[in-house]
Amino acid sequence: MLQTTGLVKRFDGVEALAGVDLTVGDGEVVAVLGPSGSGKSTLLRVVAGLERPDAGRVLWNGEDVTDVPPHLRRFGLMFQSYALFPHLTVAGNVAFGLRMMGLSPDEVARRTEEALRWVDLDGFGDRPVEGLSGGEQQRVALARTLAPEPRLVMLDEPLGALDRNLRERLVVDTRRLLRERGATALYVTHDHAEADAVADRVAIMRNGRICQTGALEEIRRDPADDWVADFVGAP
Amino acid sequence: MDRRLDRDRPAIGTRRLTLALAALPVAFLGYLFVYPVGRVLWLALAGEPGTAFARVLADPRMRGSAWFTLWQAGLSTALTLLAAFPLTWAVARYRFWGRRLVRALVTVPFVLPTVVVGTAFVALGLDGSLAAILAAHVFYNMAVVVRTVGGLWSRLDPDLVDSARALGASPWRAFRTVTLPLLRPAIAAASSIVFLFTFTSFGVVLILGNLRWRTIEVEIYHQAITFLRLPAAGALAVLQMVGVTAILVLYSRYQERRAVRMRLVAEHQTLRRPTGVRLKAAVAAAVLGTTAAVMIPLGGLLAASFANGGAGWRFLTQPGPLATRPVEAIGNSLAFAAVATLMAVVVGTLSALVVSRGSGLVSRWFDVVLMLPLGTSAVTIGFGFLVALDRPVDLRATWILVPLAHALVAVPFVVRAAAPILRSVRPEVREAATMLGASPRRVFAEIDLPIVARAVAVGAGFAAAISLGEFGATSFIVRPNTITIPTLIFRLLSRPGSVSFAAAMAMAVLLAVLTAALIMAVDRVRAGEVGSF
Repeated sequence: MLQTTGLVKRFDGVEALAGVDLTVGDGEVVAVLGPSGSGKSTLLRVVAGLERPDAGRVLWNGEDVTDVPPHLRRFGLMFQSYALFPHLTVAGNVAFGLRMMGLSPDEVARRTEEALRWVDLDGFGDRPVEGLSGGEQQRVALARTLAPEPRLVMLDEPLGALDRNLRERLVVDTRRLLRERGATALYVTHDHAEADAVADRVAIMRNGRICQTGALEEIRRDPADDWVADFVGAP
Repeated sequence: MDRRLDRDRPAIGTRRLTLALAALPVAFLGYLFVYPVGRVLWLALAGEPGTAFARVLADPRMRGSAWFTLWQAGLSTALTLLAAFPLTWAVARYRFWGRRLVRALVTVPFVLPTVVVGTAFVALGLDGSLAAILAAHVFYNMAVVVRTVGGLWSRLDPDLVDSARALGASPWRAFRTVTLPLLRPAIAAASSIVFLFTFTSFGVVLILGNLRWRTIEVEIYHQAITFLRLPAAGALAVLQMVGVTAILVLYSRYQERRAVRMRLVAEHQTLRRPTGVRLKAAVAAAVLGTTAAVMIPLGGLLAASFANGGAGWRFLTQPGPLATRPVEAIGNSLAFAAVATLMAVVVGTLSALVVSRGSGLVSRWFDVVLMLPLGTSAVTIGFGFLVALDRPVDLRATWILVPLAHALVAVPFVVRAAAPILRSVRPEVREAATMLGASPRRVFAEIDLPIVARAVAVGAGFAAAISLGEFGATSFIVRPNTITIPTLIFRLLSRPGSVSFAAAMAMAVLLAVLTAALIMAVDRVRAGEVGSF
């Protein structure tokens, strides 16, 4: 279970996070939904350990991990730009995290193939990542993030770089994958439909704060304030 | 493993790692550049303050050298601009068969070692004359003008000139009032580069000047090596550094002013086919004239190497007029190139990593320091090695001194090749590796190193080419048992006799072929996979 308490992050005096309290239960998928500039990505980066908070703590199952370096947290993060390794093949990308775990080469190969099957990319292993289409790159990035079975999966606008048609198809696949793996996940998006389709619970974020959490349907029925009502399109 | 995170920075870019990477390059530059140049300064300033400078300035011989350095650089620059103008115009404006070929051809002299260029004009029987020096400078530097000025010219919006013409300007008037002012920044940049190269010209002037014409560089050599007047040589080196710095400052001023806002268009939109007999003839004349200017010295060199019934080539494997056999010099050059390349690649790659990793003060300051050897003449570096590297152990009697000097000269080129590629790797790629469990050290080994490998290959090619052709620094520190191809060519040229002459020609051809092959290999790697990252 992930828990954050009072996370504050300032950049040049501007508060990107202004005290974020958020809980993600085991096996739960929480979508962080908010307009651009609301601090969603910063929240992920602080939880990941790529940014250090100015105040507040990050807890995993009650243990304080705020001072644990990012590579030792066993959290996974999928970037909006995918950040695929340009010098490695598809399989090389997916195998990276498994190799870092110190698994045997056989085990790495087996789990890499398995992860590629999850995203319907079996047979793509030897290809360079360069020639892949946007949708294929997205799936490689997803397989790479999920393969080492991180304790927490974070996805930063994972479908944001794709066109609408592809997004609608892949959101279903992504949801299925997270469910099947029983993943505990934090999913950042600015798209309501995507948040609704993927998540058990939605956290609405604005100006570095979480304004309201709950199922999107509930929030629509009973918005906390006028801004939230307007943002989620309450009747 | 350090569990505490640095407060100010993303956890991934640990400052300790950056500092660790910088340690070797800092030590390398400190011992091989800062310390020797400091000793040269000390030589010039020690004793009665200013005496060395006063003596140098009062000596008519040295005043003559300084004055010659200035005016020949100015004249060489003007002549280069004039000589390069026809081809610059032709390739910038027109599309014709062989356009790319002639552009590549004019670049060939620029990548050749200066000793080869000097030797080519000796082959034409022109040595000892001012004309030969000026011609060699023009031959060597035309590419700078064609590339810099032609590059901008071919991308100027043709509508600008067309508008001027529609407003009633004659072609000449349109050129003078529209094109030329727009090209001025490129012309200024090219001129300052050519001026810098000819101001610091050493090999060409030493070979072609026959002791009569001397630049400051050549004068430093004579004072230090021939007359053993080290304080005078030191004072000249300081004057030289002041001159170079002044030129570089002027150059960067021009670079800043270059920010004239104008729309540049793609080259394929501006190039036209030459129409009409007169225009076609003019383009043909420009292309053929330039081709002849490049081919005649190179052809002369090749022909001279076969003079005397091929004695020059036969001599390469036999004992000849000098104690050292040419084949030994070739072996030395290849071995030194290998060692120098290795050192330059290690130091250069580490430096490029430092420059590209951080945005902090360390890397910015480091970036500037790295480029200092570029702004210092090779002669000053060689002189510095000669007077300084007897401590803490006397390196001057060892062979390592030569590859060390070559590596120092090559490092900035390796950094320039590697740093842009490293910078092009988005930070998220490193962060993604971190999130997959890679420690900072692992990120470096698994992400940075493999990606830089190809850039290193390019840098290694440049380093090897520089090492093979290096003459300025080597001529100060070379010993009979460490003689290299360029220094042996120079010795052979200073001796009378047709065998020595033919042998020098043959070795110059060999050096030219080796260098050209390396540069072509580098070009292929660069055009191929590096660009696709």
